[in-house]
Amino acid sequence: MIRSTLLFTAALTALPLASAYAQKAGEVTVVLGEDLDLVEPCMATRSNIGRVILQNVNETLTQYDVKGGKGVLPRLAESWADQGNGTWRFNLRKGVKFSNGTAFDANDVKHSFERMVSDKITCESSRYFGDTKLSLNVVDDNTIDVTATPPQPILPLLMSIVTIVPSETPMAFVRDPIGTGPYKLTQWNQGQNITLQARSDYWGQAPAVKKATYVFRSDPAVAAAMVTKGEADLAPSISAADATDPKSDVSYLNSETLYLRIDSAVAPITDKRVREALNLAIDRSAFIGSLLPKGTVEAAAIVPPTTLGWNPNVKPFPFDPAKAKKLLAAAKADGVPVDTKFYLIGRSNLFPGVVEVVEAMQQMLQDVGFNVEVQMLEVAQIEQLYSKPFKEGRPPQMLVVQHDNSRGDPVFSMYFKYDSKGRQSGIADPKADELIAKATAATGPERAKLWSDLIAYVHDDVVADVLLFHMVNFARVGKRIAFTPTIATNSQLELADITFK
Amino acid sequence: MPQYASRILSSFFSLALLLVLVFFLSRLTGDPAALFLPVDATPEMLNQFRELHGLNDPIVVQFGRYVWDVLHLDFGESLRQARPAIDIVLQAFVWTLWLAITTIILVSIAAIVIGSLAAFRPGGVFDRLVSLISLIGASAPDFWIAIVGITVFAIGLGWLPTSGTGTVWHWILPIAVLFIRPFGLLLQVVRGSMVQAFGSAYVKTARAKGVGNRSIIFVHTLRNAMLPVITVIGDQAAAMLNGAVVVETIFGFPGVGKLMIDSILTRDFNVILAAILVTALAIFIMNLLIDLAYALLDPRIRT
Repeated sequence: MIRSTLLFTAALTALPLASAYAQKAGEVTVVLGEDLDLVEPCMATRSNIGRVILQNVNETLTQYDVKGGKGVLPRLAESWADQGNGTWRFNLRKGVKFSNGTAFDANDVKHSFERMVSDKITCESSRYFGDTKLSLNVVDDNTIDVTATPPQPILPLLMSIVTIVPSETPMAFVRDPIGTGPYKLTQWNQGQNITLQARSDYWGQAPAVKKATYVFRSDPAVAAAMVTKGEADLAPSISAADATDPKSDVSYLNSETLYLRIDSAVAPITDKRVREALNLAIDRSAFIGSLLPKGTVEAAAIVPPTTLGWNPNVKPFPFDPAKAKKLLAAAKADGVPVDTKFYLIGRSNLFPGVVEVVEAMQQMLQDVGFNVEVQMLEVAQIEQLYSKPFKEGRPPQMLVVQHDNSRGDPVFSMYFKYDSKGRQSGIADPKADELIAKATAATGPERAKLWSDLIAYVHDDVVADVLLFHMVNFARVGKRIAFTPTIATNSQLELADITFK
Repeated sequence: MPQYASRILSSFFSLALLLVLVFFLSRLTGDPAALFLPVDATPEMLNQFRELHGLNDPIVVQFGRYVWDVLHLDFGESLRQARPAIDIVLQAFVWTLWLAITTIILVSIAAIVIGSLAAFRPGGVFDRLVSLISLIGASAPDFWIAIVGITVFAIGLGWLPTSGTGTVWHWILPIAVLFIRPFGLLLQVVRGSMVQAFGSAYVKTARAKGVGNRSIIFVHTLRNAMLPVITVIGDQAAAMLNGAVVVETIFGFPGVGKLMIDSILTRDFNVILAAILVTALAIFIMNLLIDLAYALLDPRIRT
């Protein structure tokens, strides 16, 4: 028995197994936590799809620089200019070819926009344009005028969201995306893997990675193990618990901000002192390095620090339970029903350890005198509570939610979260509305200043919500490659940023 | 044979009833548009999604349309993947079927051989060892076995790939993990059933007539002890055909169990229905096969 076991073991080890999974030169394997249900360019703003195809297969007219802070950079558009009256002229790059061999021109841009807003398919990217109506006028093959009504001062930035497809692309979701990017999709075995192959006729600089294979493992421990074993080169999102090897594991801000959305239309949250007390009761620093990984940043704004107008002068609320108690006592003396039961509502798979985080916050809030009950709900139930119309007669609720903005401008957050008409806004404040409207319409330094003012106003004066943390992710980077994750890695993973050692 | 005809008919009605129930119950869980589109999607976008997928129609109209389509063998399109739901399900089901068939064959052979040998000397060293192993096997959580398996065999020893598909080596760890629990369970059943059979009068008679041990185990006893064993094999196989969610999730196997969970979480109604239809049919066919096996083993059932 022992002899046969030994023989079997020897036979197994003699097989050249290791080489079967080793990577070839110029090829990388990326292991992602979430599979793709679609590989549709107009859905590339959804992170699971964007991670694979955005700027790899399908490019945009402009791109936002998340690494160097240079703002909006050219991509398929070489330059642009404001023509006045809401019209912007984009001068397109010449000599660009799609992976199917056809030449890129202004008609492709027009078609890509028409497809995005078509009522025949539900393209996610269109939400970034809200109520803005767009009309596109092809001036010549390499020039296009885009008119936005009402005028859209950040139209060049918005172009970084719209992926360009050839004009033959049907008005239906496609499964074989054709783009101008450095890679083309050569294989998609749904649920198993996706392969992108570098194009020899790409207009830009040839990337170091010639072939990339994406595989999907929902268990982060397995993803991390694959990189350790050399079966994969990059796992952009592993859990903090698995990030145990300082040589290969790096943490990075992931563009998500965790906060408690409170609803200031419901008593006793109507009272500013109560909202302040909620903020002062939470010991944010106690979470970092314990329940939340090191590197997590305390938040004073709903947008991460790389965003335009981020205000360094606005400081997160300190932990001051004595002051919180005092504020509550003062409110109570004025007849504010501070003893009302609050519901702290989270969902169990928001991030690893969320239940413990929520329970710790409940304890901290109870310590200063709040009556708090925790509820853990399913994502769809939370979304019903999160978005308007809010239910009549609702109790005071604090939703533990995350907001993602890696797009560089607060416009993608502020209207939704703080305008009176914003779908997830818990406040109705005329001055906030005015600042949002002005900042949305402004350009240049004026725009940055107005966003800064708004960030300070909603945090310090209105006390609109309980901002908690800018969250971090961990990536495991294999020995063969060099790659530094950015705040956008969660939604856009450019293979061109990967080099070989 | 008439008993099979009525069996098929009643199974057909159960299946139809199940599909009707799932159709209405899944729609009670809420709106798939809210999950397909991000939280800051405009109400117009949400409405457009519902309109495109017929979700704005009264539920009775939706049901009528579904029934009509199913009668024409059209199981609808996936809300998430924009392709026919039945294609998605069949693609995933093939993976599950291979996993289930391979595992259940290995489990049956191993449990029957080892269980019979253990039963031959109840209370002996081998029997006690087998009981301990089967108890551990039947009670160990599979996600734990899977992670330990990866740590030991893929990372530590480097013999096997951590996960994924592609070569025959990729199948070893998932099958080994799937194997352990049903093996532990079946081993106990085989052993119990065999111990009982060994004590029966016909075995004593055979022994008295000088029949050899091997012949007693594999010819006389096993056949009679097989009926409860086949029932348990059937149960275990049915559970596996429903998908091995944990194994599929950890090892990145694109099987029907993970598909079903994902489609429930994303409210992809047509995929849920198609997955239930396919797995229910498979379980129904398997139950028929088990009935046939009963009849084959026990002449009394044939009449």
